[in-house]
Parts: sequence; structure tokens; C-alpha cells
Amino acid sequence: MNKVRTIDDVIINVTRIIIDELMIEDVTPETFDPEMDLVDEVGIDSMDLATVALVIQDEYGIRIDEDDYPKLTNVRLIAEYINNKL
Amino acid sequence: MQTHWKFSDILSDPVIRSRWQRVKKYFFLRESTYDMTNRCNIRCEGCYFYEGDKQFVTGNNDPDAWQELMVREKERGITFVVLAGAEPALVPELLQTCYREIPLGAIASNGLKFIPEGVGYRIHISVWGNDRTSQAVRRADHMLEKQIKNYKDDPRAVFVYTFTGSNIDEIRDVAPILAENGCRFTFNMFSAPVGYDGDLRHNRQTLAKTREIMLEMLETYPEHLLFSHYNILAHTHEMALHDLFQCSYPRMNPHEDVGLGKTFRQYRADLTWDRSAACCVPDTDCADCRHYAAGSAVVTARLFRHAIDPETFKAWLDYVDTYLAVWVMGYEKGENLSLKFVDPPSRT
Repeated sequence: MNKVRTIDDVIINVTRIIIDELMIEDVTPETFDPEMDLVDEVGIDSMDLATVALVIQDEYGIRIDEDDYPKLTNVRLIAEYINNKL
Repeated sequence: MQTHWKFSDILSDPVIRSRWQRVKKYFFLRESTYDMTNRCNIRCEGCYFYEGDKQFVTGNNDPDAWQELMVREKERGITFVVLAGAEPALVPELLQTCYREIPLGAIASNGLKFIPEGVGYRIHISVWGNDRTSQAVRRADHMLEKQIKNYKDDPRAVFVYTFTGSNIDEIRDVAPILAENGCRFTFNMFSAPVGYDGDLRHNRQTLAKTREIMLEMLETYPEHLLFSHYNILAHTHEMALHDLFQCSYPRMNPHEDVGLGKTFRQYRADLTWDRSAACCVPDTDCADCRHYAAGSAVVTARLFRHAIDPETFKAWLDYVDTYLAVWVMGYEKGENLSLKFVDPPSRT
């Protein structure tokens, strides 16, 4: 049976991946603002984004194009991108 | 045989995972480069600095201005400085000023003038062949002897041998001298400045010959040579770095959202910068760029592309491990994980 994923589920999971992979402290998936700009406000860079993208690919079985990175600037946009690919 | 590898599958190999975790700690590095002065104590054929108009700016020699610049750079997230052109050793006070504000970085020097020990950056000492060739191309006598005298046993020093189209065999003269003196070294490839068509430029034959001799050196001097099979492949490929990996420096990268396209600046000696000209070796012909500094960023940035199977990922890890050992004080190179030539992955 296909598991139904709401956008909120995906947001929480993507946030968890980001927090775990980038070892971000003092924040939980529930308190992380999904609209926050990952580059300008969180301070992550292209290597971090690539790491997150690789883990997301594993978890969701999707392919993320390198050219799409610049568009994935916050958790909500990443979650929507994933949902469109599922 | 497994044809599709998940990232977690690749990382399930404990050797790969351990190296990945080691290099990943350095993802915080954000680089910019700075021409420190217009002056140099020698004049080399094919020098990138004396191409284009950056050599004509009025150099800013005011330590306060440099300190203010470094503070601003730190504020915008720069964590690693590359101090280059023309000869940084001629302005030691400015180097010290930069070091006080941003303590991670590297200096590109010809090694003829000792940089005070208080400047704790990596120092790259450029070697362009044996002494006869240095005399001809750089107009400097007994260059290697002077460089070694200044930097033997200096933990900051990495000697950078640049292969030109006409000095390939001379590494067989130079490498034993460096090794006997306990000097670590790495390789660079001469990358022609725009419009340069002299004898130093590489062609298909010299690239192939350089690859062969680099491999010989890697096997002969594993303790002293900081390099890997993937370094050899990437820098002697008939396709230059941009065509192979798509250069991520602003000069060739229109994206300003993330990565080098967003943060990298190349400051001239008057402390101005120009995004359209910004890369690690300005005025180099991008179609011929195999420069070690370029590769250090361009290949490293392509993590995503290399995480396709264990062998390709190991090759990439070796490259990053080499890059960190060459550029970052305190990082010691591990053993290479990939002992064969792996094709650079195409863009998918």
C-alpha cells in the first residue's frame, strides 16, 4: 500500500535530514521554519546542499538534478520538489 | 554486479565512510583570493599576474585598509583566504594583518624571500623546472636551492611543481632533491593566459607524457608527493577543467544563489573586485585551464556527480583529501583509496 505523504510530513522529514546531516544544534524539525532561506539565513553552502540532496535521493528514491539546486532555497521548496517527483 | 548505488550503500564501506567523515568537517571552508601587491622580485614567462589590467591598479599598502577588508570578508562568511599576486612575500605586514583576522589560508609565493613564521598559512612555493629552466623562464639563479634553504623543515611549505609543455622530464631532476630535503610537493599544470601561444602551453602529446610521468612520481615518492590517480587524470585530460566539470567560479558561473558563484571574490591589489573576471587564476584561458587551484574548487564542488558508485566516490575522496592536505594547515593526507584511473562522471 502506498504511504500517503502530506507536504507537512515531507517538510518535517527534510528538516530532520538537514538537522542530522549538517549537525545543526538548538533546533528541532518542529521548530525549524520551513520558509527560512537555507543559504542566507541558515548559512549552508553548495557542498552541504549536495550532501542533503544525496540523502533525500536515497530516502525518496527520486533523482535530483544538479541544475535544480539554486531553486531549492528553503525546506518548503525542497518538500514541494520532492512531492512533484513522487 | 550492482548498477545503481544509493549514497548510503556507498557509505556502508567503513573505509569510505571514515574518509567521508574526515573531509566533510572541512565543508565550512569559503574561499576568496587577494592580490597583495603589484610587485614581484622576478618576472616569469607566462605569469598570469602580468596579463590583463589587474597589474596596473594602484596597490593598497595600508594595513588598516586590509584589516577592514578582512573584517568585512569574515562578516560575509569567508573562512579561507588565498593570498597571491604578484609576490606576497614582499608585503609581510599585510600577510600578518590578514592572518590575524582570518587564520586559515594559503600564500602563493616564489619562495625566494622567507615569510615570517608568525604568518601561519600554508605556503605554496612555485617550481617551474630545474635550475637551468628557472634561469631561462624566470630569470632567477639557483632557484630551487634558495627555495629549499628558505623552507626546508617548514611545516607550512608545499612545493608546487608546474608542468609546462617543455619541462616534463625535469621533474626527475627536481623530485629527488625535494624528497632528499624532506620537502612535500604537489603538481600544477601550466594553463595558458588568454592569448599566450608560447612553448609552455600543453598539447595532446605533452598532456599524455605528463600523465605518464606523474604516475611514475606517485609510485616513486608516495611519502612526499601530495597527489592521487584522480588528480593525475583530471589535470592531464584532453578536456580542460571547465569542459570536464563545469567551472564553479563566478567568471564561468552565472548562478549567484549558492556556492562559489555567490561568495567568491578575487580582489585586486587596490582592494576592488569584478565579478565578471573573478576566478582563482584570472586572465587564464578557460579552455586551457588545468590549474591546481582551479581543480581544488571545481572538482571538489562536484560531490553530487561523483556519488554514483564506490570507485568513483573513492577517486573524488582522494582528490578532496589531496586538496585539503595541500591547502589547509594541520590537515594530513591519508592513503589514497583509489589506485586506478576512474573516468570523470558525465553530467546527468
